[in-house]
Amino acid sequence: MEKSLLVKVWVLLVLLTISSALVGNNFPHYRYIIAIIIGLTLVKFLGISFFFMELRKAHAFWKTIIILYLFIFSTIAILIF
Amino acid sequence: MNTQQINPKNIYYPPGGILLWILIFLELITFGAALIAMMVYGKQAPEMFHTSRLHLNTTIGTINTIALISSGFFMALSVRYFKENNLKKSSLFLKLTMLGGVLFLVLKGFEYYEKMVIGLTLGYNTFFTFYWLLTLFHVIHLLVGLVILAFMQRDLNKNKTKAKLEDVEASAAFWHMCDLIWLLIFPVIYLIF
Repeated sequence: MEKSLLVKVWVLLVLLTISSALVGNNFPHYRYIIAIIIGLTLVKFLGISFFFMELRKAHAFWKTIIILYLFIFSTIAILIF
Repeated sequence: MNTQQINPKNIYYPPGGILLWILIFLELITFGAALIAMMVYGKQAPEMFHTSRLHLNTTIGTINTIALISSGFFMALSVRYFKENNLKKSSLFLKLTMLGGVLFLVLKGFEYYEKMVIGLTLGYNTFFTFYWLLTLFHVIHLLVGLVILAFMQRDLNKNKTKAKLEDVEASAAFWHMCDLIWLLIFPVIYLIF
């Protein structure tokens, strides 16, 4: 059961990687395109940390701190562009 | 079938151990700050960053990202099988994990060679200074990760009692940290400029 969930997450992560590469290469770099690329990165980051690293089973503190980190990183990145 | 368990709900025992998670956050903050700095410089010289970015091979970057994601997936499976005391499968997936890491390094080496041949070295411009520093620093982490995994593989092969769940989870967390860092590096260097 848990292993099939890992397979699904892996397939999703690969598809998101291909999507972000296609978006980055084929669209002009307006702010919303950059926001989409950063957004796809955040989903991949959460996929690895919550499912591969099993953070979803960890104490709420660790989940909160990783989400906070991503929020700060992505907000600064989008504000820069 | 025996299973080994650590209570991950305890704040002091995140998967991989509290010390490793402190290290992971320090690394993420360091790389995050460097990437933000790169974006700030990129905003000041958009033309130069865009032209430089076009010198990079996005296909290799994408394949490398998929290689690391797949490697992380195999690592996660290896830990699950270890918890079920299925050491044979745990060892098999650990080998596949290392294979993903080696594939990444081979492709990165090829990419580095390509850049050096045409003179796009560390001092070429600001973009390539960030490119070399960030990716080389990441490669060093990956090499350290591969050494840790090789020791883990040796322990799995040698004696089933030698490898402990805490060590396996800590090694896995370090490996996943390399994935996480690359996930941040990839879009900033290869895609957004």
